[in-house]
Amino acid sequence: MEPLTRALFAPVPRGRVAAFRTLVYLFVFLDLLIFTPWVRSHASVPGELYQPLLVGRLLPLPTPTPLLVHGVFWVLLVTALAAATGRAPRLLGWTVFALYFEWMVIAMSYGKVDHDRFGFLVALAALATVGRARHGDATLTEAGGWALRVTQISVVCTYFLAAFAKLRFGGIDWVTSSVLARAIIRRGTDLADLIAQVPYLLILAQFGIVAFELLSPLIFVVRDRWRYRGIAFFYGFHVVTYATITISFAPHLVAMTAFLPLERVRPIEWVRRRFARTPAAAGT
Amino acid sequence: MDTLTAAGRTGRLLATLVAGALLLAGTIWGVDDDFPFGPFRMYSTAPGPDEPAPDTRVEGVESGGAVVPLTERNTGIRRAEIEGQMAAYQADPSRLRQVADAYASHNPGAPALVEVRIVVRREGVRDSRPTGTHTDETVARWNP
Repeated sequence: MEPLTRALFAPVPRGRVAAFRTLVYLFVFLDLLIFTPWVRSHASVPGELYQPLLVGRLLPLPTPTPLLVHGVFWVLLVTALAAATGRAPRLLGWTVFALYFEWMVIAMSYGKVDHDRFGFLVALAALATVGRARHGDATLTEAGGWALRVTQISVVCTYFLAAFAKLRFGGIDWVTSSVLARAIIRRGTDLADLIAQVPYLLILAQFGIVAFELLSPLIFVVRDRWRYRGIAFFYGFHVVTYATITISFAPHLVAMTAFLPLERVRPIEWVRRRFARTPAAAGT
Repeated sequence: MDTLTAAGRTGRLLATLVAGALLLAGTIWGVDDDFPFGPFRMYSTAPGPDEPAPDTRVEGVESGGAVVPLTERNTGIRRAEIEGQMAAYQADPSRLRQVADAYASHNPGAPALVEVRIVVRREGVRDSRPTGTHTDETVARWNP
């Protein structure tokens, strides 16, 4: 138990939490505008087509109207931007989490549930529990370590438990089925159409997918260098998925940055330093 | 270093265990309805190696006979959402009126539709590879 709790609360620099926070909240902003703009168009879909998810019935959340959908959209847009600055992390964090969750209920209560954002939702909830964290601050924080760790675990669960879903819904025959051929027929790119012509390649890919999903938890036990290679492989998997069937899993990709030393990415600091240097150089 | 209090640790540990248990239960017994704890069942079905692949589309017909594809872009309804509620559309094709209404409210000024239909194209598959052949079937049709 002791090593497990130590791993769960392994501290990280506050700067990493700050960078992850900015990235996650900026993604909410972009998700509304660019990645899943269709959610907003549920505003003018008749309420009869709304079939609320269990959580929507339990709470109980109202049937979306244009006012509700556009209201959540605009308030979420503004609060996500404010949260990205790192100010009022708990108040803004919980507000964004609640609004984004409602946004997801609006998104997925019309007959189709997506599976690309469990890790992202966990990141939103966990970030709201971490207090202030300044960019570049090297002070270690256990609360921040836990938030990043549970996001990492959720990301890996998305792979690992997907293997069990395949066994449950498809059975052992999944690996030799025509599931990828079907996906390519329904939404394949030109590249995918080419790949589909190669005998047995799709079946080989299906074996590969199950192997990678079952092995994904190893990411937690390998050393740094192999962990980063593993993460690069995960990202590579999604690049191929996007190139062949245009499924991006964008929120999942953002959550996966919880594995990276984000505190080293300081775009504003780099720009500031550049400007600080320029006048000095001109003076000499 | 910022260390957590004993209460802070316990609360977080409990939250982790509860969420983990819900996700595990969702994977074993859950369905999509249990979002966000439902099973990660994307592409989890196992269609047979020679089983045709259904490719669904929704079409509207204007009074002049022109066929308009009804998509996420011009109705706000995703194809997967049509497929998710397919049984309801087949049992009661008049539900397609909602799709026509969504199209009308997304495209004010567009000619009214005299027919809305769901067409399933079955693409041939052999040895888990597409054959390039297909047949179309209209599975639900509604005329105002």
